[in-house]
Amino acid sequence: MVDRLSARASELPNTDLNPRDDPPLDFPDREFGSLTASDYAELGFQCGLEVHQQLHTARKLFCRCPAGRFVTRTDATVLRHMRPTLSELGEYDGCALMEFKTRKEIVYLLEHGTVCTYELDDTPPFPIDEVAVRHALRISRMFDLQLVSELQVMRKQYLDGSIPTGFQRTALIGIGGTIPFHDSELGDDQVLRIRQLTLEEDSCREVSDIGHRITFRTDRLGMPLVETVTEPDLRTPHDVAAGGRLIAAVARASGHARRGSGSGRQDVNVSIAGSRRVELKGVGRHAVLPRLVHNEAFRHLNLLRIRAALRERGITADLLDGCLHADLGGLLAGCGFAPIERAARDGSVLRAVRLPGFGTLLGHRTQPGRTFAHEFAERVRVIACLTTRPFLLAEDDDGGALAAARWREVRMAVRADAEDAVLLVWGPREDIDTASHEIVLRAKAALVGVPSETRQAHPDGTTGFERILPGPQRMYPDTDTPPLPIPDAWVAEVESRTVELPWQRRARYIAKGLPAPAARRMAHSTWAELYDELAIEDPPTARRIAFALEARLPHFWRSSGVRTLPAAERLRPLVRALVEGRMHPSGTNWVLDRLLREPDTAASDIVDAHRLDDRPADPLPASPTTDANARLRWAMGRTLRGRTRGSFDPQQIRTDLSHSLGEVRE
Amino acid sequence: MTEQRADAYKGYREPLVSLMARFGITVWCKVDVDTTRGEFSGLVLPRSETADAHHLVLKLDSGYNVGLRHDTIRAMTKTGFREAIYKVPEEAFPRDDRLPEVILLGTGGTIASRLDYRTGAVIPAFSPGELYGSVPELADLCNLQTEKLFGEFSENVGPLHYRALAERIGQAIEQGFAGVVIGHGTDTMHHTAAALSFMVQRPPIPIVMVGSQRSSDRPSSDAARNLIHATFAAAHGDIAEVMVCMFGPTSDRYNLLHRGTRVRKMHSSYRSTFRTLGDIPLAMVEDGAIQSLQTCASRRDDRTVQIRPEFEERVTILYYYPNMNPDILEAVVDRGYRGVVIAGTGLGHVNRKVYPALERARSAGVQVYMTLQTLWGFVQMNVYETGREILGLGVIPLANMLPEVAYIKLGWALGQHPNDPAAVAALMQTPLAGEITEREPHDGYLVFQGRTPEIDEFLGRIWS
Repeated sequence: MVDRLSARASELPNTDLNPRDDPPLDFPDREFGSLTASDYAELGFQCGLEVHQQLHTARKLFCRCPAGRFVTRTDATVLRHMRPTLSELGEYDGCALMEFKTRKEIVYLLEHGTVCTYELDDTPPFPIDEVAVRHALRISRMFDLQLVSELQVMRKQYLDGSIPTGFQRTALIGIGGTIPFHDSELGDDQVLRIRQLTLEEDSCREVSDIGHRITFRTDRLGMPLVETVTEPDLRTPHDVAAGGRLIAAVARASGHARRGSGSGRQDVNVSIAGSRRVELKGVGRHAVLPRLVHNEAFRHLNLLRIRAALRERGITADLLDGCLHADLGGLLAGCGFAPIERAARDGSVLRAVRLPGFGTLLGHRTQPGRTFAHEFAERVRVIACLTTRPFLLAEDDDGGALAAARWREVRMAVRADAEDAVLLVWGPREDIDTASHEIVLRAKAALVGVPSETRQAHPDGTTGFERILPGPQRMYPDTDTPPLPIPDAWVAEVESRTVELPWQRRARYIAKGLPAPAARRMAHSTWAELYDELAIEDPPTARRIAFALEARLPHFWRSSGVRTLPAAERLRPLVRALVEGRMHPSGTNWVLDRLLREPDTAASDIVDAHRLDDRPADPLPASPTTDANARLRWAMGRTLRGRTRGSFDPQQIRTDLSHSLGEVRE
Repeated sequence: MTEQRADAYKGYREPLVSLMARFGITVWCKVDVDTTRGEFSGLVLPRSETADAHHLVLKLDSGYNVGLRHDTIRAMTKTGFREAIYKVPEEAFPRDDRLPEVILLGTGGTIASRLDYRTGAVIPAFSPGELYGSVPELADLCNLQTEKLFGEFSENVGPLHYRALAERIGQAIEQGFAGVVIGHGTDTMHHTAAALSFMVQRPPIPIVMVGSQRSSDRPSSDAARNLIHATFAAAHGDIAEVMVCMFGPTSDRYNLLHRGTRVRKMHSSYRSTFRTLGDIPLAMVEDGAIQSLQTCASRRDDRTVQIRPEFEERVTILYYYPNMNPDILEAVVDRGYRGVVIAGTGLGHVNRKVYPALERARSAGVQVYMTLQTLWGFVQMNVYETGREILGLGVIPLANMLPEVAYIKLGWALGQHPNDPAAVAALMQTPLAGEITEREPHDGYLVFQGRTPEIDEFLGRIWS
């Protein structure tokens, strides 16, 4: 069925192409961190972001279930399947066709209090939550977007099962905005163009994906979120992370975005000269973005090198149609490679696929620790749902699994000559045709260079195939929801309420005495409101507290596992002690730590314990050592024994002791 | 508005038609639009006639549609033209002489549907080619012939359509088809199923009605599975009755075959909306197998069938409520109705106020029958005094016949014997197609309550 439908699959949009078509094939592979902005410019590196942020509303977007409740309990489960459908313009989406090939059983876990028949697709939508619409309008204006006058709810197809309807209800709120981008590596006067902002329902949380069965939890499903899409204006890995932080900070500044883990996620679109957009999906933390996009850029470059090699060898798609494959039966019995022998015992089919002209290319490095063969394995794993690793072996990259003589037999079976590559794949009989078919499709995609894909981000900074990149053909008007006009009064109300934007906030912090980078980090931080509430007038103290919060709060959250902010009142005694000179500034971090970790001790008691104490040092006994440095360390230890941080000036004591020991050291 | 003009501005009205004309813009033009809220570029889509007249609909390159209000539009520039042709891929349905012949009769509904810009809703689409294009699995089950009898939403289907269907089924049986599938909107599918149960008597082959609760333009639609299961039951099943084939649970697990006279739509939107009431379903259909649950009429090789499509339309249902006044029933009598089915309370009761009207109906020759709004259980009018009084007024109890089925059967019975009230009364009280059963099994009434531990456990198991 899928092949027949594929004839009506849509063309990929040209907007996905990188504007440059001259891949810098001679650019050397380099590790993350070793490239300059101009190196990335030479690569033609460009990125755009799609930032998702959940909105703070009492209810979900299209039903009356509570938003923001997460559960582990399961009361019932529902099983579904998905089928591709035509787009509004009469075409099939390539991604939808691919998902259909996986023949997945989709299981939803339901919990009584967080999900109703709407999320399960057993009841049509209720009217869209107006609070969410107003929140989205407000955030759109903060991005300087042009607002539509009537919301048209669309269905964006997702056949992976993450939404039981098979589509996400989404509505475009505004397009074409610009925000100042001060944190760019390319200079302080950059701008980040915002393509659009949409209001949409969140998807399910995936619980497991094993073979042909994928399981989702439905508590998050249907929560309102905004997706902010940037133009591909981010030209270095550092800028990608900075852009993500900036957009998150704008949404947070509205006061309408949810906080905490899982409330914000982003997809990154990456391309380099000669490649087309690849989407890296669902990255939760900004800090991992730079390495990820760097590695992805070099994956593109290496795939383009492979393309160049194939072109040079005169390989065409027609040639690949003739990819010979053969089931090997008992040919590899007793081959010594345990996974293949085990598969043979389990009744799996072992198949060899010849890729004409691909000789030596399968071992080509594409990502750190990954080769081109891995691209084939990933695609087979996802679409044919082969789960028992390994299930695929390439001669160029088999890590010595099979003896050369065995490979010769395999090559003979598929009549491969020296220029050809051979892949071995094994799995259940019902999946093996899909597997070998996908291998040929992936080989054909190598002629294009970088296939349009959605890829999953791995913790090690590499990426893996998730699905074919969906195109605009997956959009379909939601016939269940009437259009919603946006009255001028709503727009006026949104415009009338001013909010301090992150770049305005940054300017204010600079005026307060913070250095520019620290001011930017503070403006994007989640503790900026707390900091503002403290309203510190004294510039050195303002700086000191800003640094302490940045240094200690995230550390406290990580070590305690509790992500809460202290009340401003708890920090005030510390601020007062610093402003009034009752405590030495070098103790700030220690006092802040204690204020966070000892919630049952009064703040004033903690601060008092670190009060500046100018009593003279006791006279020193004779030093046990003659080494000057060791003697100074010994003297410091003696002098500071029993004294708390903040109660002394460490620099002063060091200077005094050095003098009294008669040796001033620089 | 001329035909061509209407097409160029499909769905748009004033003030937008003038505005579009002023800038030389029609539907399917690619345009740049300058508005007071900013610049927008995209494809002009038709406007739904049920939406307001003030907005221009644009499809942006991203695939999103947006509405632009006419008074925000300053200027429009045409940059291109692209008309969308929304068509399900069509391909000749393949033939395999080893497979049984099945005919699929189309009546409308959402079993196969596509987008209609005029109303902004989905409308039925139907041909063997289109069906094969979207549900190719059917070709593994049978050789399919399709015939569109009419294209009606289920609420518009009535006696005329019952007759056309019954007669076409009769022909199909004569033509030698192994089974008949009828695509039907779900809202009144059980009315049609009941009508066909009476009009097509002792069919030798399965007659399977099917629909969908989620339109087939949605990836999660139940349409394909329902159609596959119904077609399997028609092609390979052994049950030669009029049946409804729809989802068992809401999960994609199995379908149920319901007897046409005992089935009822019980939820406005659930996939598993069709339930057998007061009995158990006939069978389960799952993955190319039918598991029988009770005794049914078996498939026969002969081609004999009686088609009796006459139907008296002047029949109604009165749904009783406390304090009902007699004038309602009197109005029905005055308007020349020939028969009334009452859906009474409890065991089959109405209040005393209505008695004079019942008396009048009897003397006017209007037949009055009693069924239950409780849906489950039997009419038992001898238990209370009220019941005995009503019986005394000539109201005839219909045991456990469902009210809608009684309505259909009464129209049909009056159609068979227009001038013989006694024959009608006798026919009404004689079970013909399972509409009255002798006994109600203990598991014929299953309305469980959520949150009880045994049901939590049951649902956890049954749907997964």
